[in-house]
Amino acid sequence: MLWHIVKRELFEQVNSLRFALAMLLTVFLMLVNAVGHIDEYKTQQSEYGQQVSAYLARLEQNSNHLYKLVLDGPGELHKKPSPLSFCAHGSENNLPKFASGKPAGWGMHPVIDGKPYNVSGIWRLKYSGFPPIKAKDMFPVFLKIDWILIISNVLSFLALVFTFDAISGEVEHGTLRLTLSNAVARRTVLTGKFLSCLMSLGAVFMSGVLVNLLLLYLSGTLQLNVQEWSRIGGIFVVGLLYIAVFIALGFLISVLVNNASTSLVILLLIWVIWVILVPSMLGTIMSGLNQPSIRRGPSPVYFRRSGLQERYIASGLEDEAPTRERPPTPATRLWAEFLNEEAREGARLHRAYLNAQINQIQIAREFNRVSPTAIVQYAIESLAGTGFQRHLNFLKNAERYADAFNDFLISADRADPDSPHVPFVREGMSDKPVSFESIPKFQDQVRLEEAFKGAILDVMLLLLFFTALFAAAHVSFQRKEI
Amino acid sequence: MLWTLIRHELLMNLMTFRFLVTVIASMSLVLAGSLVLTDNYERRLASYNEDFQKHQERNFSGKTYSSFMPSLNRAPNPLSVFNQGLDKRAKNSLQIKIGEVPFLWGDVNLNTGFSNPFRYLLADIDLVSIFQILFSLLALVFAYDAIASDRENGTLRLILVNPVGRGLIVMSKYLGAMLCLTLPLLMSFLLALLLQLQSNAIHYGADDFLRIGGIFLTTVVYTSTFYLIGLFISSVIYRPATSLIVSMFIWVALTLLYPNVSLFLVNRFIDTEERVRQADQAIDQILEQFYWAEEVPGDPFENPPLLKGSKAGAGSSSYTHLKKNITFIPDESEIHVPTVKSYFQELTSGRIRTANKVWQIREKAFSETYIHKSNIARNALRFSPAGLYHLSTEAWAGTGLASVEDFFRAGRQYRGTVLDYFYDKKAFGSRQWFASDKGAVQWDDTPRFSYQPPSVFEDASNRALGDLLLLFLLSPMLLMITFAVFSRQEV
Repeated sequence: MLWHIVKRELFEQVNSLRFALAMLLTVFLMLVNAVGHIDEYKTQQSEYGQQVSAYLARLEQNSNHLYKLVLDGPGELHKKPSPLSFCAHGSENNLPKFASGKPAGWGMHPVIDGKPYNVSGIWRLKYSGFPPIKAKDMFPVFLKIDWILIISNVLSFLALVFTFDAISGEVEHGTLRLTLSNAVARRTVLTGKFLSCLMSLGAVFMSGVLVNLLLLYLSGTLQLNVQEWSRIGGIFVVGLLYIAVFIALGFLISVLVNNASTSLVILLLIWVIWVILVPSMLGTIMSGLNQPSIRRGPSPVYFRRSGLQERYIASGLEDEAPTRERPPTPATRLWAEFLNEEAREGARLHRAYLNAQINQIQIAREFNRVSPTAIVQYAIESLAGTGFQRHLNFLKNAERYADAFNDFLISADRADPDSPHVPFVREGMSDKPVSFESIPKFQDQVRLEEAFKGAILDVMLLLLFFTALFAAAHVSFQRKEI
Repeated sequence: MLWTLIRHELLMNLMTFRFLVTVIASMSLVLAGSLVLTDNYERRLASYNEDFQKHQERNFSGKTYSSFMPSLNRAPNPLSVFNQGLDKRAKNSLQIKIGEVPFLWGDVNLNTGFSNPFRYLLADIDLVSIFQILFSLLALVFAYDAIASDRENGTLRLILVNPVGRGLIVMSKYLGAMLCLTLPLLMSFLLALLLQLQSNAIHYGADDFLRIGGIFLTTVVYTSTFYLIGLFISSVIYRPATSLIVSMFIWVALTLLYPNVSLFLVNRFIDTEERVRQADQAIDQILEQFYWAEEVPGDPFENPPLLKGSKAGAGSSSYTHLKKNITFIPDESEIHVPTVKSYFQELTSGRIRTANKVWQIREKAFSETYIHKSNIARNALRFSPAGLYHLSTEAWAGTGLASVEDFFRAGRQYRGTVLDYFYDKKAFGSRQWFASDKGAVQWDDTPRFSYQPPSVFEDASNRALGDLLLLFLLSPMLLMITFAVFSRQEV
């Protein structure tokens, strides 16, 4: 029986004007998206390639001296562009493209035993690198046509247009009464209608996606591996789930309101507020109330103010310069301790500043999740490997690499028998070149499980929305008098 | 008779559920939006004030003429609350230099009063965008069944039994609904104004109120366009539900999709970078020729004693090899001073010439690239009422590209005035150009920079009214078409 209803509904849907319009609109937008993204990834990748080779060249140059690596760090660690940026642009233009493992930016020149002793801080990871607004981007603001826009704005709208009269229209015409006079349970009717709507919208979505992928594939832009195909699959499923939320919403209102037009009017108002206005306002309001607790990044000489330097000077830092003596003198150890603590503290402050910034955005994102549109955006961004979540993962990668790099520096020093082995003071470390091959290289990558893990919360939330709305539609349909 | 009909329509509309929703939705969105946007403006203003203070102190503190390189700041526009345009994203300061003509097009660091650069991930939406989406939708919702439902109920027939022309009916429906839509719109505007005036940072003058009035008028015309589109659809399509579906598709296409798709495509396919790179290369060549090929060999001082300890170093301009803020000239060097004077005179007039040459190339390149692209985008937007609405309100608010350019044009003019002043003072060949040992320069009679944005009338006549007129012309056209269709119909 269920199948019978689905078939009938589907047949009706597919033959309607709105199905044709929906198909036209979606396929057209998917075409625009594909046309707009042809060769984009290639450009991004060649840029990324250049930056990586610049990074490697710098590393190779610095590898002629171990301590140079200690001072200068690994250099700019670049974020790998995602091949799926046509699915989700993720505001990548407003996010840093790299984290920098750079010199500390301070030096001390104490006079010890009548001789000036020069010392500078050792490297640390810094998180600046926000791109400027380019002259070519000084252009009216517009929404980029990516899959997220098509799914979240257009397909949700279509879902409402497909469902607004699903129940109320049939009540008006009296056909529902006829249907129910047969031995059909109400839930079967509702489920049948739901499935047919999902199938017809799924068909619209699917054809758009296929046209889009085909065009990108023919233009040679699309060269994906299995992993990336599975991410596209994930995006498709999330999109369907999102559409299902709106179908359920459409049913709910359609059950509650008896007049078809009124139900569409109500649905549209809900849609405008929930889909368009809330995601662009609520988070901004909430994050405006939560300004970051740390207002400025740490200046390179913060340790003068923080008392770190005084503490060490009080314990005799500037009484004696470090030496290359073996076994190491206490002064060498003290200097090493000072430099290490300063580097740790500096890295911690940079991280704390970053965390304060990230926090504000996280709060905004939490509030934006009131709207399924924001949820689906975050989920798809995670899956596509763009956007904020991806940036956080990239920073995690960079931090992991920073640790590995420091470990390497220590082990390279250990391997030199002539060194006093007191990292990271110049005199306490090997002054030999290291082999470039043995230096760990930063390789940014998006792991599939990370992408799915990032999306899982949002998928759960979408499921929750769907379940709640569908259950509400179901209950009110059961109680409805026809 | 018309008035009776309008009153009837108005009453019918006022009592509906949708009117209530309209009021609540528009008021709450405007409330939320105003709070965010006002806060944003206050932050930008604070950051502007800070910069302004800093520059104010520094601008006239130089001791030699050559050290005069004032920085000028563009104040944020309070009307960006209504339409933000480029106000937040365009460069907001410029520096007057002898060797360079200031211009708008360059990289801008995100410095708009937020300490968190990640903030740019969050969308922010101005009041005009809210009106653009909401009131077009509401207008269609008011219109979709205006004729169709009367026809379905049979009331249309009853009305037509009376001696009432069909034109009158269409007219009364239009006016009634517009009155009904203008009411929440007016309330929203008043609420927005009230909230903004609460802020200490925002002070509106008569000029600004006229501009806000212009934005309000444009919004009304925009709403009327959509109402008439809805009315037309309603007169063509008999079933209210179908007419609503068609209206909604048209709405999505006109307000949401067309502007974004057209801008997306223009931005993607009009390449500016290649042409700009060419211009940059040409400019580099000119600069290289001037600063390295001509000037350095012509340096009159191979090693003059005047320059003892005053070779290029901190504080000197990067291209010239002579220090320009000398505070002490030993007596034995005095003999070289005339040579240095004429050297600088020569050099400076050369730099000004070069700057003009470079600017000619730049201006041409910009107008062929960025300005060209932005003009194409504007023309593309004009095909949609939403685009017209955006452009017109942008001009009223004075936040568009043209208004930002005005500031930079004023900066260029100021540079001209400063140069003239220097010519008058014969500053380029004077001792005070490079040395302050005989007393620092007095800046008392130097021209000061003050930027007066064009008045509302200039902005209106040059920028806003054109688009408003286009938008406005749509209304009578649609009204006539609707009337033509309606009067041929059988009831």
